[in-house]
Amino acid sequence: MQTSSQSPQRSPSVALLSAAMILIGLLGILFFFAAVANDEAIQYVLNWSPGDSDEQTPSLLLVYLERFGIIVSVLIIAAGLFFVVIGWRLRAGGIRMAYWARIALLWLGIGAGAFIALEIFNILNTAAMDREAVDFSALVSAIAPALLVMLIGFALWYWLNNNIDQAFSGDDSLLGRETRLAWNLLIPTLTIFVLVAARPLEQTFIRSLTDKRFAGSAVPQFVGLENYANLLTFRLDTVPCRKSVTDGPCDTRANGSVRWESIDRELLREGYRTIFNIRLGDQSLAISGLDDDFIEAIYTTVIFTIISVAGELLIGLFMALVVNSNFRGRGAMRAVMLVPWAIPTVISARLWELMLKDTSAGIFNKILLDLGAIDAPLAWLSDPALQIPTAIIVDVWKTAPFMALLLLAGLQTIPSDLYEAASVDGANPVRRFFSITLPLLRPAIAIALIFRTLDALRVFDLFNVLFGRQQLSMATYNFETLVSNQQDGYASAISVIIFIFISIFAFIYVRLLNVES
Amino acid sequence: MSQPARPASTLFGMTPKELRRKLQQALLYALVILVAVYALFPFYWAFVTSFKTENEMFQTASYLPRNPTLQNYQYVFSGGSFLLALRNSALVSSAASIFALVAGSFAAYALGRLRFRGRVALLYVVLSMTMFPAISILSGLYTIVRQLGFFGTGLSLLVTYPVFTLPFTVWVLTSFFKGLPAEIEQAATVDGCTPFQTFRLILLPLTAPALVTTGLLAFVQSWNEYLFALNFTATNPSAQTVPVAIALFSGEFSEQEPIAEIMAAAMVVTIPLVLLVLAFQNRIVAGLTAGAVKG
Repeated sequence: MQTSSQSPQRSPSVALLSAAMILIGLLGILFFFAAVANDEAIQYVLNWSPGDSDEQTPSLLLVYLERFGIIVSVLIIAAGLFFVVIGWRLRAGGIRMAYWARIALLWLGIGAGAFIALEIFNILNTAAMDREAVDFSALVSAIAPALLVMLIGFALWYWLNNNIDQAFSGDDSLLGRETRLAWNLLIPTLTIFVLVAARPLEQTFIRSLTDKRFAGSAVPQFVGLENYANLLTFRLDTVPCRKSVTDGPCDTRANGSVRWESIDRELLREGYRTIFNIRLGDQSLAISGLDDDFIEAIYTTVIFTIISVAGELLIGLFMALVVNSNFRGRGAMRAVMLVPWAIPTVISARLWELMLKDTSAGIFNKILLDLGAIDAPLAWLSDPALQIPTAIIVDVWKTAPFMALLLLAGLQTIPSDLYEAASVDGANPVRRFFSITLPLLRPAIAIALIFRTLDALRVFDLFNVLFGRQQLSMATYNFETLVSNQQDGYASAISVIIFIFISIFAFIYVRLLNVES
Repeated sequence: MSQPARPASTLFGMTPKELRRKLQQALLYALVILVAVYALFPFYWAFVTSFKTENEMFQTASYLPRNPTLQNYQYVFSGGSFLLALRNSALVSSAASIFALVAGSFAAYALGRLRFRGRVALLYVVLSMTMFPAISILSGLYTIVRQLGFFGTGLSLLVTYPVFTLPFTVWVLTSFFKGLPAEIEQAATVDGCTPFQTFRLILLPLTAPALVTTGLLAFVQSWNEYLFALNFTATNPSAQTVPVAIALFSGEFSEQEPIAEIMAAAMVVTIPLVLLVLAFQNRIVAGLTAGAVKG
């Protein structure tokens, strides 16, 4: 068997390909540095001088991170180095490197093609908006470099594709083949991930370290971890209960809860607000923070998530089992089942707002009044005690179909002969459910649970329409801070904390449900 | 097996076995009706409301409109911008769900069937797209959409919607790919298929129920998305999607919210989706994988 190091006769075309790969990699990195140096915003900071304006000096680092960021910079340089390394190793004539080179060239061509399409779209679009004729010479000069890259990429790829077995030698492993195919197939998803998730999230993280205002013109400055400190500072104090009579019993509220003294005036002035009181004998441990709204929003969201996801799972499973049985009109029923999910949340939240009106104009109050279950209309949306239960009812109604459809697809993969065998063995339906359906449905349930839980933790539309600022979820608090209070930096810090909170949660959850193995 | 002897005692002219089956049928239909009422009552309410007059909103709720009117529907269709929004939504949602299915099934095959280092880490990377509220990345996405030159066009939604359609498409399909028996691939390899041919010609058709399910869910999610659509297309009336068009109803008639008009629009928006589900639901067919292993 021939190994790569022993192949003495290197064809000149292999050397040429190797050189081309190295050149492409180096030029790519060089081009990126040139783009940074020539960037308008970067140039502006470099040429900025403290003239008569009283603006603060813009930070070069901040502008660089805003414009390019760490992720994109690292990825571009890594891609360039990948080309260089592959090109270098290609000289040995090993077929594995040739396979990797083929992937790299293919995606270079596709990437350049996408860039060309984007440029053409932009030029045509701008021309259409300005109602001007398309300037073809400008168009050609805009796409010429990318066109060259695309042609070179595809030409090399084509040559490699046809000559890979003649020009290269060595053995390939099945594992290597699977690895390459896997990365090839993952590139579209990972590109999207970088473009619409990683990069925007990185910008949010960068802004969270600044005092940026939303839609403001002031130059943002680094404030370090100040935003985080404000969100996460806690203190514990012991406070006595409130007594109207000295040495008498503790005062209580109408609902029986004890009234505690507030924390020190000085602390209140510093911005501390008590979030929870934990009773320790006739004293109380007061947990106070600088941003009590945020902590309360977390608490509300977690409670909402636990109860509504549990409800959705039960109702969704019930719906899936019913719709999976044999009866006439099953097809129509599957469509009917999905109706709540099909109505856009912004509309269904309004619909529920209408049905839950706090007078007899609301159908829920009317039904309950007619049934004699209540004496007076309930204020479903404005009574703090009813807000969370209401939100849960609406959310369960809306998203149980999502659960049901995922579980239905899971039910379809359970082979029916298992049930036949179980019936022959005399297992009753309840036993069949617990010993066949539930275990085999586990993967579908786990995935439905993960996605519903993460969705519920991010609940936004529902709380925004139903409660506005009255009852905040984590996401609506984030929104209010950004849009109403215009604190972009602070809102970004909230986003980052929510992200960290949910990712820890998701990691533990995925482990517990054991879906990755 | 021989026919069981007919028992002597019968009830309503039925054997106990027949009776039991009838009772089970009746129970099943009762459960079906229960599910239908639960799912449909609010929809029924939207339907009734869409025929009510603005004044009736403030009177005691009635199960049928007192003075049925079509003026809410007239309002919805006046000007033709709503039809345009319907078309935009249909285009954006179809393109977004097709993209999610193509990219998602590629990724899911890699994550579910192929051995390579970093597989589990990449599953988490994909899932991490669902770990922040959309509002967290809104201004970052705004910058990117501007840089790409997609602001105010449907393309802005096409590039941003994968953030919520892709993760669950990838995860659901990964789990389905994992669930397929290993024998299928071995047989395909013996027959001389490359891994990609195994994927395209053999495994993909077997995951049809999951593809239909995730495709439908991705379509509905894109159809209903509001925050991105509002921020990226609201400035251009010819690119607005349906939720945005409905949200912008407010305030054209009077001070109060045009709730009856919104409900009329909700009817118009939901019915195409119901028809879509009806058209696709029988593709979620039973026993595909079981048959594949046996045969």
